[in-house]
Amino acid sequence: MTNPVELGARSELGDPERLARHDAAVFDLRTRRDAAAAEVPDWEALRERAAAIKAHSLDHLDVYLEEFETQAARAGAVVHWAGDATALQRIVGNLLEERGVQRVVKSKSMLTEECGLNPHLEARGIQVVDTDLGERIVQLRHEPPSHIIVPAIHRSRQEIGELFHRHMGTPRGETDPERLTRAARRDLRSRFLAAQATITGVNFAVAASGSIVVVTNEGNADLGMSLPRLHVACVGIEKLIPCMEDLPVFLRLLARSATGQPISAYTSVVTGPRPGAELHIVLVDNGRAGLLAQESHRSALACIRCGACLNTCPVYRRSGGHAYPGPIPGPIGSVLAPAMQAGGAALAHASSLCGSCTAVCPVRIDLHGQLLAWRRETLRPWSSASIASRLAAWVMARPGWFRFSGRIARGIWPVLRRRFPGNPAHGWLRTRDLPPHPGPSFATRWRRERENT
Amino acid sequence: MSDREAILSRVRKATTHTASHPGAHPPPDLPGGFERFASRLRAVGGEAHGPVAAWALGEEATRVAGLRAQGGRILATEGASERLGPGPWVVAPPDTPPGAFEDVAVAIVEGTVGVAENAAVAVEGKHARHRALPFLCRYLILLLPTASIFPDQHRATAALPEDAYDDHHLTWISGPSKTADIEQTLVYGAHGPLSLDVIAYEER
Repeated sequence: MTNPVELGARSELGDPERLARHDAAVFDLRTRRDAAAAEVPDWEALRERAAAIKAHSLDHLDVYLEEFETQAARAGAVVHWAGDATALQRIVGNLLEERGVQRVVKSKSMLTEECGLNPHLEARGIQVVDTDLGERIVQLRHEPPSHIIVPAIHRSRQEIGELFHRHMGTPRGETDPERLTRAARRDLRSRFLAAQATITGVNFAVAASGSIVVVTNEGNADLGMSLPRLHVACVGIEKLIPCMEDLPVFLRLLARSATGQPISAYTSVVTGPRPGAELHIVLVDNGRAGLLAQESHRSALACIRCGACLNTCPVYRRSGGHAYPGPIPGPIGSVLAPAMQAGGAALAHASSLCGSCTAVCPVRIDLHGQLLAWRRETLRPWSSASIASRLAAWVMARPGWFRFSGRIARGIWPVLRRRFPGNPAHGWLRTRDLPPHPGPSFATRWRRERENT
Repeated sequence: MSDREAILSRVRKATTHTASHPGAHPPPDLPGGFERFASRLRAVGGEAHGPVAAWALGEEATRVAGLRAQGGRILATEGASERLGPGPWVVAPPDTPPGAFEDVAVAIVEGTVGVAENAAVAVEGKHARHRALPFLCRYLILLLPTASIFPDQHRATAALPEDAYDDHHLTWISGPSKTADIEQTLVYGAHGPLSLDVIAYEER
C-alpha cells in the first residue's frame, strides 16, 4: 500500500529549496504560538476548560441545535439544514438564484471547501470571488488551499507576483508583498462594492442567542457582511457553543494557537440580519453526526480550526497541504479523514506518532492517540502490513530466530536497496530510501569488544 | 424525512446528555489599565492616545484625525460627534448607502469596552449604524472611556451592556486590518483600515 501523502509530498515539494522554505514558514507559526501561549498564565486551564465545554456541547448537540435555531429565527435569521454536501450546494445555489444573484464575495470557510460549493455555484453561472488574500491566490491558480489558516503558504512571492501581473495588472517582476497586497485590495474592493451577496463560514455559533461569530484578520468577512443585502453563513453543526460567556475561552485560545496574535483583528458577533438585509444560516451535517456517534473518536469534532497541529507536524511541514487528499491537511485532517471520506484511513499511517500535535492542540484533542486508534481499527487482519507485524512480533520474541533472520537480512540487504520488479520492497522504495547497512549486528560487536578488552 | 429531522434524529441517537458544562472560566490575574492596553495595541499595529479629559476629547480627535486624513473626508458617527462637539468631521445621514463611504479617509466611532490583554475594543451595532463605515474607511479612530478597559477578555465580555448584541452585530477590533498571506510578510490594510487609533478619555 502506498500512502497518498508520500506521493503527494514528492510532487508538491520535490524541490529542496521550496521544501526548506515551506518548513521554515510553517514552523515560524509554531514558534509564535509558543511565545503567545507562554504569556498566558492560565493557558493550561483554558485548554482544559475549552475541551470540557466542547465535550459538553457535543454531548448535548441536539439541544443546542434546536435552541440555536429558535434564537436565530427570533433575531430574524432564516435557518436551513443540510444533511450533506449536495444539500448545502442546492440550498445556497437556490437562495442566490431566486434573488438573481450573479456576483458573490466569499470569505474563508473550510466547510464550503469540503462541500465543493464554489464549483457548484460556478456551474450555475454565479461568479464567486474568494476575498481572503491567500484564498484569492489559490483561487486564481485553480488549486485548493494548502493550509487552513494560510492558504497560499506553499507559494513564493515570485509566483504570486507573476499571478498578480496576469490577473491584476501589477508590473512584471513586482514581488514586494506590500505592493502586491495593495493591488489585491484595490482589485477586491471593487468586487466587494459590486457584490450582490456574501458567503461566509462561521467560527462559533452561540446557541443561547442564535448568534454566529466570524473571525478574520483582513476584515474581508466584515466588508462582505456589511455591503450586499444577502448574507449566507455556512455552519458545521459541531460549531455550537452554549452561551456568550463561553466565547472568551475560545477567543483567547484561537488566534494565539493559530498565529501567535493575542486575538484576531476582527471578531464579529452577528445576531440576525442588519436592517433591510437578509441573513440565512445553513447548518451542515455532512458526516459529522456519524462521527459524533463514534464515542471514541468524537473529540475530533471539538476542533476550532486554528492550524496549530499542522504547524508543528513533521509530516505536514515536509509534505505540504496538497499531499493530503482531503479538504483539511495535517494531523486533524488525518484524524477526520477515516470517518469523513472514503479511503481516508491510509492517512493514519502517515505519522511518526511524536505527539507534538496533541501537545499544542488548544482544545486538547488526543490527536496522536486518535491516529493510533484509527490504525488499529482499520488494519485488515490478512493485509501484508498486518501479517508483517505479526511475523515480526513472533521473531522478536525468539532469540534464535531473531539472530538467524538478522543474518539473512544482512545478506540480502544490498539487493533489497535496489529498485527492480520482483524486489519485495519495490513499492516501498518508490517514496523511500533504504539506508546503507550498519555492518555487524549489535551482538557481534558486543562480543568483539569484550574479547578485545 | 426533512434534512432537519434526519440530522436531529442522528444527533439525538449519538448524544447521551451526560457530560456536564464546566462552568465559567475564572478570569486570570492579568495587568489591566490604559498603559497595558496601549502597549498591546502597539504590538498589534495600532496606536493609543491619551488618556485625555472628556472636555479635551474633541481637540485630541481633531489632532489625530488631521494627521491621518491629510485633507481627506472625516466622518464621525452620530454618537461620536455628540461626544466630540464641533470639529472637522461630518455626520453621515442615516440613509447613506454603504458604497458612499468608499472615499472616506477617517471614520470616528465609539467603542464600548477595551481589553488590555489583546487590545480589542468592542464596537456595538448601535454605535455603528453604518455597518460598512469602520471597514471601508482608510483610517479608523475609536473612542474609549479609560474606565472601560478591562484586564482580560472574560471580564470585558461580562462588562458589556445587556443590549450589546441587539443591533445586528458587535465587533471586537484589535489593531488595523492585516494579512501575512504573501511569504509571511505582515502588511497592514489588507481590506479594512490601514491604521487604528484609539483615543482614551476620562468620563466625568
